Amino acid sequence: MNVRIGILSFAHMHATSYASCLKQMDDVEIVGIYNEDEGQGKTLSQRYGGNFYSNYNKLLDQKLDGVIVCSTNADHKKYVVAAADAGCKHILCEKPIATTVEDAQTMIDRCKANGAELGIAFPCRYIPAVINAKLALDDNSIGKVLAAKTTNHGRMPGGWFIQKEKSGGGAVMDHTPHVVDLLRWFMKSDPVEVYAEIDNKFYNMDIDDTGILTMQFDNGVFATLDTSWSRTKSYPTWGDVTMELVGTDGVISVDSFAQDIDLYSDASGAHWIYWGDNMDFGLVNDFVASVRREKPFQIKGEDGLKALEVAIAAYESAKTKSPVKI
Amino acid sequence: MLKVGIIGAGTMGSMHADCYSEIPSAKVIAIADTRIEAAKRAAEKHSAQALDDIDKLISMKDVDIIDVCLPTPMHKENVLKAASAKKHVFCEKPIARELVDGKEMIEACKKAGVKLMVGHVLRFFQEYVIAKSIIESGAIGKPVMIRSTRAAGHPQGWSNWYSNVQMAGGVPLDLIIHDFDFLRWCFGEVDHLYAKGLTYANVPDVDYSLVTIRFKNGVIAHVEGSWAHISGFFVKLEVAGDGGLFEFDSRTSSPLRVASKTAKGSGGGVEVPQNPVIESPYTTELRHFIKAVEKDEEPPVTGEDALRAIEIAIGALKSMETGKPIVFPLI
Repeated sequence: MNVRIGILSFAHMHATSYASCLKQMDDVEIVGIYNEDEGQGKTLSQRYGGNFYSNYNKLLDQKLDGVIVCSTNADHKKYVVAAADAGCKHILCEKPIATTVEDAQTMIDRCKANGAELGIAFPCRYIPAVINAKLALDDNSIGKVLAAKTTNHGRMPGGWFIQKEKSGGGAVMDHTPHVVDLLRWFMKSDPVEVYAEIDNKFYNMDIDDTGILTMQFDNGVFATLDTSWSRTKSYPTWGDVTMELVGTDGVISVDSFAQDIDLYSDASGAHWIYWGDNMDFGLVNDFVASVRREKPFQIKGEDGLKALEVAIAAYESAKTKSPVKI
Repeated sequence: MLKVGIIGAGTMGSMHADCYSEIPSAKVIAIADTRIEAAKRAAEKHSAQALDDIDKLISMKDVDIIDVCLPTPMHKENVLKAASAKKHVFCEKPIARELVDGKEMIEACKKAGVKLMVGHVLRFFQEYVIAKSIIESGAIGKPVMIRSTRAAGHPQGWSNWYSNVQMAGGVPLDLIIHDFDFLRWCFGEVDHLYAKGLTYANVPDVDYSLVTIRFKNGVIAHVEGSWAHISGFFVKLEVAGDGGLFEFDSRTSSPLRVASKTAKGSGGGVEVPQNPVIESPYTTELRHFIKAVEKDEEPPVTGEDALRAIEIAIGALKSMETGKPIVFPLI
């Protein structure tokens, strides 16, 4: 029997990637698509299958096995709560879980109350190099972890990402969650304190485009994370996810998207073309598997909340110019 | 012809002796080290005199310049002696372990009317010189975010002094002092910084620092320093501006690799990357110093520069110790 999936909102560009992953799976049916922009929604439903719904409650009435929410960050709560209330048992929500801790907690509580599993889309957990790095760490190959240096650089995404009421924040909100989740997953430890330098000098907009976070974890490890939208238009790739883990007996270095071909085109300039595995497929495939087996998804709402807490503490730290406890 | 006496015949001392041999207007006439064998090894090559008595070298009449290549805690005493003997001084970095000591050294040289230059050699590395000129050209617009890395395995030195934070000041004062000076050269004075590190963690043969600096002009710099990278020495620099970005990594910009089954020190078949340039940056650095002495000009790296560089390192150490951001200036 096919797994019946509905997608609520394509406001976040990752939705198109998730939808095309779903389309590649034989036993998955995209039942319907809801999107705020009706014209775009209809085009998407033609491309990926399923009906277009201009009312998301109607889509949620279609006996869905799973729902994927890819709205603006601020709308995550609205759609996740609606899906849980409608009796949907498996919900995958784009990161960051929400724009406030209160919203995130409401989402987690409401899903729990309705017996729904809330999962968060952290696709970086499905990058083969990241998985192998975790195996190397678990295998004790660098001894005890002491420190980590990480980056999640990107280009300035524009659109609603730079409207604070929809995104909850700029580069720090956008790029803190992925790597914080990876560090928590790797070390089974939570961040307890954050210091951050945050600024907006790349684009001089009313939203941050630059962030360096320094985190202290409860296992004694310290880590920095560069969340900046520092990849200029002329840079050959969109950004990166890198981690350098320093241990008592060695170092693990991860450059997640280093599997690339260097292209120099007179027509379009320099590009690093990624040829590695598609992490989004790993994520969506795992979500579908958990729906099919009626099992909880590995990345939970609480993981999303923990990552969000760090971003919010980082903003607080930049404001107060001092480390902030979580 | 300027006559140079080198004190300290370790890695830096013997390398400096080689560098002077490339500079026509300078000659090393004596090298002193309490380990006379080391002094002899370095001196022999340059037909210089080897001494086991540093004070004796400093008081040698025909020596014009004292080049101090001793461990950091011995800098002050010997620079002060050299100044009072009216010798010009080249001192390896960092100038001193403590700010007050650095200040005293600068004042002593000023009072004695002798030149003082400190070995912030990054200013003579071609890639860093070009990096600065790219920034100044405006090719990347206004610089916003800098990331630098200086990584190596743990150094071995006399009496294992590098491991002693009271003596060497760990990675911040001995290793990324280079990057601190370079960044200050490019972006001016520091407003505040925040640092985490292992300098006080007492992990055997591992030290590591991550320092975030906010300069007064608004630039943010993330500086990584490592004595944990057993894979070998490398540096990285990335400068992102509002109109572009540039980056380099010494591991990928190496024009020559030699993989040999027989080469000495390669550990048997290990490929050793090389980065040859016609003139070593250390020679360029000393050539500039010799020229400043000859022409009675201010050396390109002043004592004040060196003091401000250790100020950043000491600020980083203080931030690690207190867990708080440190606001500048400290002196």
